[in-house]
Amino acid sequence: MDAYLEGILILSGINLIAVMGLCLLTGFAGLFSFGHAGFMAIGAYTAAIFTKMLGLPFVFGIAASAVSAAIVSWLIGMATLKLKGDYFCIATLGFGEAIRLILDNFQGLGGSRGWPGIPASSTLLNIVILDIIGVVLIANLVRSRHGRNMIAVREEELAAQVAGINTYKYKMLALVISAAYAGVAGALLGHYMTFIQPKMFSMVKSTELTIIVIFGGLGSISGSVIGAVVLTFLPELLRVVDKWRLVAYGMAVIAIMIGRPRGLMGGFELTPASFRKLFAERKAAREIKAASRLYSDDDSAQGAGR
Amino acid sequence: MAQFLQQIVNGLSIGSVYALMAVGYSLVYSIMNFSNFAHGGVIMFGAYFGFFAMTLLKLPFLAAFALSFTGTALLALLIERIAYKPLRERRAPFLYFIISAMGASIFLENIVIATIGPTFRTYPKVFSRTAIALGSIAVGRLDLIMFFVSAISLALLVLFIEKTKMGKAIQASAYNMKAAALMGVNTDQIVMIVFILGGILAGIAGVFFGMKYTVYPQIGNITTKSFVAAVFGGLGSLPGAVLGSVLLGIIETMVAGYLSSQFRDLIAFVILIAVLVFRPSGIMGKISEEKA
Amino acid sequence: MRVRKMLFVMLAALVLISCGGTKQADVIKVGWFGALTGDQAVWGNNEYKTVQMLFEEMNAAGGIKVGDKTYKLEVIGYDNKGDAQEAVNVVRRLTSQDKVVAILGPNASGNAIPIAPILEAAKVPDIATVATNPKVTVLDGKVKPYNFRVCFIDPYQGAVAAGYAYDVLGARKAAVLYDVADDYSQGLREFFNQNFKAKGGQIVADESFKFGDVDFRPQLSKIKASNTDIIFMPYFFKEVALSANQARELGITQPMMGGDGWPSEQLISMGGAAVEGCYFVNHLDYEDPDVADYKARYKKKYGVDTELNGYLVHDAVLMLVEGLKIAGKVDGEALAKALEKVDFQGITGHVRIDPATHNPTGKDAAILKIINGQYVFQQKYAAK
Repeated sequence: MDAYLEGILILSGINLIAVMGLCLLTGFAGLFSFGHAGFMAIGAYTAAIFTKMLGLPFVFGIAASAVSAAIVSWLIGMATLKLKGDYFCIATLGFGEAIRLILDNFQGLGGSRGWPGIPASSTLLNIVILDIIGVVLIANLVRSRHGRNMIAVREEELAAQVAGINTYKYKMLALVISAAYAGVAGALLGHYMTFIQPKMFSMVKSTELTIIVIFGGLGSISGSVIGAVVLTFLPELLRVVDKWRLVAYGMAVIAIMIGRPRGLMGGFELTPASFRKLFAERKAAREIKAASRLYSDDDSAQGAGR
Repeated sequence: MAQFLQQIVNGLSIGSVYALMAVGYSLVYSIMNFSNFAHGGVIMFGAYFGFFAMTLLKLPFLAAFALSFTGTALLALLIERIAYKPLRERRAPFLYFIISAMGASIFLENIVIATIGPTFRTYPKVFSRTAIALGSIAVGRLDLIMFFVSAISLALLVLFIEKTKMGKAIQASAYNMKAAALMGVNTDQIVMIVFILGGILAGIAGVFFGMKYTVYPQIGNITTKSFVAAVFGGLGSLPGAVLGSVLLGIIETMVAGYLSSQFRDLIAFVILIAVLVFRPSGIMGKISEEKA
Repeated sequence: MRVRKMLFVMLAALVLISCGGTKQADVIKVGWFGALTGDQAVWGNNEYKTVQMLFEEMNAAGGIKVGDKTYKLEVIGYDNKGDAQEAVNVVRRLTSQDKVVAILGPNASGNAIPIAPILEAAKVPDIATVATNPKVTVLDGKVKPYNFRVCFIDPYQGAVAAGYAYDVLGARKAAVLYDVADDYSQGLREFFNQNFKAKGGQIVADESFKFGDVDFRPQLSKIKASNTDIIFMPYFFKEVALSANQARELGITQPMMGGDGWPSEQLISMGGAAVEGCYFVNHLDYEDPDVADYKARYKKKYGVDTELNGYLVHDAVLMLVEGLKIAGKVDGEALAKALEKVDFQGITGHVRIDPATHNPTGKDAAILKIINGQYVFQQKYAAK
């Protein structure tokens, strides 16, 4: 395969894993994080310690990256999950920057000059396998009782609490799982780039991931999958417009927000059953449209608001 | 001792920079309940407006200053109309506003890079750079002027909010937008006014930052710190924003001066979290359920 | 409907992405990449414009002769925002689709390090401009076959700065202010400290800030109290000008010293009187006639002054042309071998590549002093 295409597919796959976790946190539990690049950094450095320093197989590195990011997120969660909306947001922002600052200062792992020579163990094949495992796990989780409880927390926290749902527990669950996913994504990224540097895990990276989740549609796993692929390809396609690239990207983000605020697939899942439903709906929709012209796309599905 | 006093002066000066930005944030937050990340971009434009008014149009400083904050007021309003109004009408959750604001911020920074280029630009000299010496302590002239200008503009803002009918309407909307609308307040108009006020503050901040720190497309990024300060003080509270900013400035300075400049932000962050754990709504924020 | 449309767009995108450019017989395609946007954009734009200008000039003069054929040169440049991940993307694109024979840039070490495996797989050499981290060309004691550079490296620059400060300026106590989040700054600081201490000097303050900071007074107040002889500032000119102004405001009168992040016309306009009497290590002497010629051509064409990166990418272009002539054919593998043998006079000094490290050897650093808003050449200085 063409090396360029392969490279972007690999990056899509890596982003997809991180986005999957964020999809749970933001899309299902309704928490907004600015610090997931920090969890990626933890994963990337932990995995590199296992493979490059200790010489262990990549699988151990991946497992360790998930565990380490999860533990750190649990500690962060204990301190901050009781905070509301923007305050949690700022706490994650501070956390992400703090991780970078620690890594910048830590000369043993290269400091801000980075750590080269990490084995090139990430391949398209193992990334696709991990993607599939990741999607299946999340899909099963959100369809379980826990997933429904999370949605309840997102939609109306107070009501969920009254109904006897331990909101703190579900927020924590979402945070820890999403951090573990981010950790794995970081490990894969490090072993794809063969080089890691704290600079790679900036706040911009965290924001990009969140933008993908929103673009794909809150609370839609298939939306996140499509979003990860599309938004990894988009900047590459926009290369033709040179330095106008990010101008176009900024406009596109606003356009998506105001044009299709539920995102690409808000609240909608791509499954064989939904395909049949989609076509049936569209047929019905065409009929209704022909009759009244009142059909509006935005009213047809549930909103993701709270 | 001399060093300690100097560090206090440094901290106050840095804090007042944060305050000028944080008030703009908090004002918008109090009405809209989201953090307006495009604010930094508007500040950056303010710096450029002032710079070009002085160099290309050869305007005197005060005229350039006025032109700059008029420009940013219009820009802030324009951003509201394009990026937020459609969301408001749809009653979208705050996440969408944040993302839309980020899109606007990416757009603003890069449109500057793409059109006039990423070069750093230096303001023409308006105020002398020599510091006023108080014993062994140095106080920058620009810092003093900036301190007074921000104090005056904040006082005017408070007067406007407290004393005018429009100000009362803003207060009412900040308290409860829906109820205010029911009472006959034109909330759309209120939102416009708030963005214009925020834009004016951004323009003032922009010109001063341009003079102090030179002008470049990423200058808006320092607003991240003022966002932290606004949260620290209690989002939505104007006195909180000022207090949070000054405290953050002093904490940062003291950490860098006496503990470790390498870990300054880390320590400042831990202090911030500690404050939030004990006072979950910031120093001055009202303890209540989130309004979103 | 939208889903299907989206899928269609994606498919179209895949097709678009996967068809590369067509190969023309008499054109040599050369890649360039660096930051055209983001906070490194000043330097990236300067490099890209220089490459474009030089290629235009060479083509107007009839092109270059490789083997027994004459070729025109074409540059394909991509923006990577100064981001390592995008560096990997664009190098994959340049090598697999644009099929360039060589790549010029990047300026940042952190972007030059991760591209090595791709270059090796594609057999395309890269000449970095100001990537001064030793690990750009050598990793774990082994030279990377396809990575080259035209600049000196951090350990050398740090040794020069420390040596000059200690031996020539007579400083015994030094204070350091550096950017903890920047790889260049951290590298230079490390080697300065190491060499200065080895000479018997004392580091009396070792303070840092974080990239994006604009106020350095807390650190400077501490430095002021340290009673130092000299302040070493290994970072870029914007921060240098800001910190120098703030230092003078606080009443710090000691001379300041820096590295190759300093030189820029803008340092003088931004720093003004604050940087008077300061020293820095540079790659070249601006009064050199060859240097002045390029500088004037650039100013004439683009209306703005060139930055330091322009001079180095200028020599990277010369190095590439020399390499192509030695190789005698347009082929990445042959070119990489030929680049080890280049020996030519560039505007930043005589360039001879050491096959064991792929670094230029024998390039003396120039020490410049700022006097009356001018960069005045002091001496060539080699670290001992």
